[in-house]
Amino acid sequence: METSYFKEQLQAKEDMLAQTTRFLVQTQHKLEEKNKELVLANKDIFDSINFAALIQNSLLPDIDILKIFFKDASFKIMQQIGIGGDTVFIKNTNNGVVFGLLDSTGHGVPAAMLSISGTLLLKELMTSMEIDNPQTLFNLLNYQLHKTFNNSSSSIAHKEGVIFSFSSSQNKLIYSSAKGKALLLHKTGEFEELANTKKSLGDDANTEFELFDMKVTSGDKLIMYSDGLTDQFGGEKNKKFSRDRLKKILSTRPGTNAGEMVKIIEEEFTIWKSTNAQTDDVSFMIIEF
Amino acid sequence: MTTLSFNNYDFTLESKGPFSSLYFNEKLKMAICFADEEYIPIDNFKEMFLHVSVLIEKFEIKHLVFDKRKLRTFHQPSMEWYFAVWKPAIKNKGLVNHYKILPKLDWFEKAVEAGKYEIFQKFSKEILNGIRITYVNSIEEAVENII
Repeated sequence: METSYFKEQLQAKEDMLAQTTRFLVQTQHKLEEKNKELVLANKDIFDSINFAALIQNSLLPDIDILKIFFKDASFKIMQQIGIGGDTVFIKNTNNGVVFGLLDSTGHGVPAAMLSISGTLLLKELMTSMEIDNPQTLFNLLNYQLHKTFNNSSSSIAHKEGVIFSFSSSQNKLIYSSAKGKALLLHKTGEFEELANTKKSLGDDANTEFELFDMKVTSGDKLIMYSDGLTDQFGGEKNKKFSRDRLKKILSTRPGTNAGEMVKIIEEEFTIWKSTNAQTDDVSFMIIEF
Repeated sequence: MTTLSFNNYDFTLESKGPFSSLYFNEKLKMAICFADEEYIPIDNFKEMFLHVSVLIEKFEIKHLVFDKRKLRTFHQPSMEWYFAVWKPAIKNKGLVNHYKILPKLDWFEKAVEAGKYEIFQKFSKEILNGIRITYVNSIEEAVENII
């Protein structure tokens, strides 16, 4: 091969290097511009979500209402992105208190909208129609959700959860459950599974939710939670947090009050999740009788 | 007669220069250019593609593979000539697919991308119209695409 060939090749290599450098610099500038746009758009989105979270959180009930009727009560809500579909409901009645935990379809902004509309509807039913029977509340909420959001062409709004009504005059606790997740931990250390209507709210306008009685004695604890808690992946083998783990946490600390227990579950959940992404909205509420 | 075989199809040597060689299979209507050195000077590059033009007309070649795996220098004026002169000249002569095989070198791929970007800036993306350009990993993959 002649020297002129290598000289020409060297010149071509230098040109290639200069051209590629020019291209990379231009690409970098474009990426920096796009990055600036994304940072601004991201800030707008998160400012909006943070403000929406303030609004949603301001609608959360006062836990002290439950402490009037029961020994202790506490709840924790950890939405996946600040706002979400999990909520707790507490409202005093003429004769006691109605309380529960509800988990709306999905997570994020749409779930938050469904969650707020459900809460406002429940409050409206209780205030204007003076309904405090869980079965009636769930039947009406179910009908309204189905009628408003779910029809033959779309099905967008569903809720799961459990709602209780406590009558202080009768010292009686009744409840209805729409695939609700709840456990009763007796003072003796035994768990009692709560009865359940295996239908979601909003699925079928004709669903009749059942009404159940619950007998509790002093020292028993009622735990309500959303599936975001037990379905969270984590731990050494990246498994679900699970209902069994929740039971173990609850049963190995018999003397712990509701407030402390909520903190312990939150800590255990955070350790379990570790660096994994939170997969769903998470909520839990504990009542100590 | 020198032949090469890919996917049980024989390709006959049509021409051999100091920097490249050209093979074809009449039945498949396919020609393959091999870059045999790290760099092809522009005059030899043009000569190779003019041989391809002759093949296209003579044997109604529809598919062309350019195996650049031995190349280590990307030459912008050659690429411009390919897009701005050779491609328009060969347009409507029957060539449908142009398969290209690049060396597995990130920097070379980036150099090709940079070169194409400058060509598009200079001539607009319309210059790509006509022949379908597809990047493949091997000659076998290109043959597989058309059989």
